[in-house]
Amino acid sequence: MRTSAVFPGLILIVLYAGVPVAVGHVDYVMSLIIAALTIGGVAVAWALLGNLGGMVSFGHAAFFGVGAYVSALLTLDAGWPVFPSMLVGGVGAAIASVVTMPALRLRGPYFALAILAFAHIFRILATELESITRGAGGLLSIPALPTIAGFDLSTKIGGYYVILTIVLLAMAGYAWLRQSTMGLALLAMHDTEDATRIVGVPSTRLKALMLVVSAFITGVVGAFNAHQINFLDPDYAFSGTWTVLPIVAAIFGGYRTISGPLVGALVIYLVDQLVFKEFLPHGHEIILGALLVAMIVLSPTGLVPLVMGMVRRGRHAAA
Amino acid sequence: MKNRLLAIAVAGAVALVGVAGAQAQEKIVLGSHLPLTGKLARVGTGMHEGITVAVDMFNRENDGKYTVELITIDDETSPAKAVAAVEKLAGEGVVALTGGYGSNIIGPASEAANKAGLVYITSGGVAPELSKRGHKGFFRINNTEGYSKAMMGLLKEMGVKKVSILYNNKEATTDLAKTVEKDLSDQGIEVVLHAFDGGTSDFKPLVNKVKLQDKPDAIGMVAYENDYVGILKAGSVMKPDVKAVVGVWSLATSKMNEEFHDLVQTVYGTSMLPFPAEFTSPEAKEFAETYQKLHGTEPDYLGQFGYVQTKLLLEAIVRAQEAGTLGSGGLAEELRGADANTLIGEVKFDENGDNPLFSHRMGQHQGDKVVLVWPKDAATGEMIFPATPWSQ
Amino acid sequence: MFELTLQAIYSGVLTGGYYALVALGLALVFGTMKIINLAHGELVLLSAYIAYTAESQFGLNPIAAIPFALVLVGIVAVAVYLLVGRIKRDRELNSLILTFGVGIILTNFVLLVWAADIHSTTTTWFQEAVVVGDVLFSSRSEILFFLVGVALVFATWWWLSRTWYGRAIRAVSSNRDAAMLMGVNPRQTEILSFVVASVLATVAGIAIYTGQVIQPSLGHALTIKAFIITVLAGMGSIPGVLLGAVLIGVIEALTVTYWSSALQEFTGMVLFLVVLLVRPQGLFGFGARRG
Repeated sequence: MRTSAVFPGLILIVLYAGVPVAVGHVDYVMSLIIAALTIGGVAVAWALLGNLGGMVSFGHAAFFGVGAYVSALLTLDAGWPVFPSMLVGGVGAAIASVVTMPALRLRGPYFALAILAFAHIFRILATELESITRGAGGLLSIPALPTIAGFDLSTKIGGYYVILTIVLLAMAGYAWLRQSTMGLALLAMHDTEDATRIVGVPSTRLKALMLVVSAFITGVVGAFNAHQINFLDPDYAFSGTWTVLPIVAAIFGGYRTISGPLVGALVIYLVDQLVFKEFLPHGHEIILGALLVAMIVLSPTGLVPLVMGMVRRGRHAAA
Repeated sequence: MKNRLLAIAVAGAVALVGVAGAQAQEKIVLGSHLPLTGKLARVGTGMHEGITVAVDMFNRENDGKYTVELITIDDETSPAKAVAAVEKLAGEGVVALTGGYGSNIIGPASEAANKAGLVYITSGGVAPELSKRGHKGFFRINNTEGYSKAMMGLLKEMGVKKVSILYNNKEATTDLAKTVEKDLSDQGIEVVLHAFDGGTSDFKPLVNKVKLQDKPDAIGMVAYENDYVGILKAGSVMKPDVKAVVGVWSLATSKMNEEFHDLVQTVYGTSMLPFPAEFTSPEAKEFAETYQKLHGTEPDYLGQFGYVQTKLLLEAIVRAQEAGTLGSGGLAEELRGADANTLIGEVKFDENGDNPLFSHRMGQHQGDKVVLVWPKDAATGEMIFPATPWSQ
Repeated sequence: MFELTLQAIYSGVLTGGYYALVALGLALVFGTMKIINLAHGELVLLSAYIAYTAESQFGLNPIAAIPFALVLVGIVAVAVYLLVGRIKRDRELNSLILTFGVGIILTNFVLLVWAADIHSTTTTWFQEAVVVGDVLFSSRSEILFFLVGVALVFATWWWLSRTWYGRAIRAVSSNRDAAMLMGVNPRQTEILSFVVASVLATVAGIAIYTGQVIQPSLGHALTIKAFIITVLAGMGSIPGVLLGAVLIGVIEALTVTYWSSALQEFTGMVLFLVVLLVRPQGLFGFGARRG
C-alpha cells in the first residue's frame, strides 16, 4: 500500500530537485526540456478533451495562439504583470473556445477538422488585424517571467519550474475531474451517449465545459511560451506543430492515462531532438509519423500502459 | 668574442620567435545557426556555403597565426530551435555568431545572443525593427532600404508613371512593399498595392484585376520563388499590357533561368552578380575559385552575403585580439569602426549595427544570362525595355 | 467591372475542376467506407513529384508519367488500407490519427527524396493561353483538367450506381454482413475502393503539376481542401463534389477580385464552418452528421 504514495513522491523530488541539479547549468538541454514540457502541457489538455469530452481536436494550436497573443499584448501594450496576463491569456483561449462551441454538435472527425479550420482562421485574423496584433511581423521583446521572492524566473531553471508546475497542476485538475461525479458521467457518456441522455445527463453542457477547460489550459501554456521565447508571430503562434506534436505525444504516451501525455511528450521531443535529428538532419519528422502509425496499430493505448503492464507483470512474477 | 655572443643572441632570438610562432596558432571558435532544413533550407544552405568559404580563405591566409573552427547548428527554420542553437553555441564558448535567415528567426536568436553577450552578424534579416532594439552587438550588412533603393532606381530610370505591386503578406515582403511604395510616391510615381496570401496558387484573378483596373506601366512583385512563378504564369495567360515586370530577391538567379527559362525572360530582380558570373578583382577571383572547390558550384548572392559578413567579422576579431580587447567588448567596437570595401560594395556600420550604405543591384534575365542593368556603374549590359515574357 | 467578374467566375469554375479532381478520391473512400484518409493530399503530391521526375530526368511528357505514378500511389494506398484494417477499437477516430501519421511520413519522404525546391512543368503546351471572346483567359492545362475532372466525376458516379462493383461497395458500406451473405467479398471491394481513389489521386497529381507550383508542404494543404469540399458536397454525393469544388473556386476568385487576395483562404474556411454548422449533411448530401 505504501508503495503507491512513495512512487509519485519520488518522481516529484526528481523533477523539482534532481533535474535542475543535474542539468540546470546546461542551457541547451534545459531549453529542450522546457519545450518538451510545453508540448506536454498541450498534450494533457488535448487528452482531457479526448477522454472526458470524447472529442478529438486537430486544431489545438488555435487555443495556444490565442492565449499567447492575449497575454503578450496585455504585457506589451497595457503594461500588465506577467502572471496575471498568463491567466487572462487562458481565459481568452477559453472564450475563443466558446466561439467554436457550435462545432460540439458534430460527430468526431467533423469536430476535429472544424477546430482545424478555426486554427487557420485565427491565424489569418492575427495576420490581418494589424492594428492589434502588429500583423505578420509579430511581437518582439515580449516581457519575460518576473523575479519573485528574489528568484529570477526568466532564467532557464526559473522557466522550467513554472512550466513544470503548470503541467502538474493541469494533470491534478484532470485527475480530480476524472474521479468527480461530473467525470464519471462524462466517461459513461463516452460509451453510450443515448443511454446517458435518457438518464438525464446534460451531455452537451458537460462537453462544452471540458472544451473550455482544455482551451484554458492550452491558452495558459501558450502564454507561458510567449514569455519564454519573448517573440510571437501568427505563423509561429498558430503553427501546426502545436497541434501535431501534442497528439503524437499523447498517443505515444497513452492518452487514456493522466501521466501518459506528459511522459510521451518528454520522450518524443527529447529523443527526436537529441537522437533522430543526428541521424536524419532533414525530415527526421518521418520517424515521428512512423511512430504514430505504429502506436495506433500496435498499442493504441500508448506507451505508459504498456510499460506499467510490464512492470506489474514483473512484480507478480517476482512475488 | 663579441661575434660569438651576437650569434648566440641572434640564434636565441630566432629560436624564441620560432617557438612563439609555433605556439601562437590561436584558435578562434565561430558559431553559426542557419535553416539547413525546413522551409528556408535552400537559402540557409546557400549562406552556409559562403560562410565556409570565408573561413577557408581566412585559415589559409593566416596559417601559422590563427585558425578558425566553425560550428554550425541547424535551426530547422524554427525560432525556438534557433534560440536553443544560440544557447548551445554560447555554452561551447564561441567568440561570435554569424548566420541566421528570416527576420522572425533572427529576432529571438539575436536576443539570446545579446543575453549571452555575443556579437551577432547576419545578412538574412532586413526588417527595420531588428536594428532598433539597442543591441550593441547586433550587425547586419543588408536591409530593406537597400532593396528598395534598387527597385526604385530601376523604375525611375525606366520613366514609368504607375506601378502595381503584388506582395506576399509575410512580414519581410510587406515591409519592403510598403517602403517601396513610400519611396516611389515621394518621387511622384503612382503605386497601387495588392497583398496576397502565401498559399495562393492561382494568380489569374489578381493579375486580371491589375490588368483591367490598374492599367499600370509596370508590375512589381515582392515575394518568394513560388509566388513569382505563379504570377508569371498568370501573366503569360492574361498578357497584361505593361512595359516591365520587376521583382526582388530569389528571382534574378541562375536557378530560375535554368528551370523556368521561358517564363522569366526580360524579368528583373535584385542580384549582386551577373550570371555567368564575371569576377574581376583578385579577391573575387579567389572567392569564386574557393567556392567552386569547396562546393562544386558557382556562388550566388546568398553565398556572397555569407562570405562578406563572415570575412568582416573575422577581420574584426583579429584586430580586437591584437588590441587585447576581444574579451571585453572590443569586437563590437572594431566592427563599428571599420569602413570596408567588400564584394557587395562599401560597408560601414552605424551605431545600430545597420549598414546604411547598402544598395542592391538589379539584374535582368536575357536569354541564358542574367545581366546587371542597374546602377550604371555596376552594369554589365543594357536593359531590354519595354519588354515582358509574353511580349516576346 | 463586368469583365472582371466574368473572368473571376470563369477562373473559379476551372479551378473548381482541379479541386474536384483532388477531392474525388477522398470523397469516394469517405462515402463508401466512412474512413477519412488524411494522407490523401500527400498521395496526390507523390503523383505530382513522379510526374516531375519523369519530365526532368527522362524527358517524358507528364501525362506519360501516369502509369508509373499509378503503380506507386496504388501501392501506398493499399498499404494504408491494410494498416487501417488492423485497427481494433474506435475505428473512425483512430483511422483519422493513423492516416494523419501516414501523411507526415509521406510529406517527409517527399522532402528527403526531392528536397524543398519548388517545381512546375516546363512543357509549354500546358501553359499556352486559351482565350474566349477576348474576355475569358485560361491556360490549356486548366481547360484540359477541368474536362478531365468533370469526366471522372461522372465516371465515378456512374460506376458507383450502375456497375456491379459499385453496388457491391455500397452494399458493404451499409451492411457488411448482409453483403457477405449476398456473395460480396468485403475486403476485396474495400481494396478496390482504395485503388480507385488512388487512380483519381494520380490524375489529380498530374493536373497539379501542370497547373501550379509543387513543394513538399502542398500535401497537407491539398488534404484540407479536399476535406472541405467533401463536407460541402455532403456524404454520399459524388456530383456534389464537383459542385462544391466549383463553388469554392468561384468564391475564392471573387474574394480575390473584390475584397483582398490575402483573404482567399479565409472565405473558404468560413464557408466550410458555416455549412458544417448550418447544414451538416452538406449542400447535396443525405445522411445525418450530428453527434
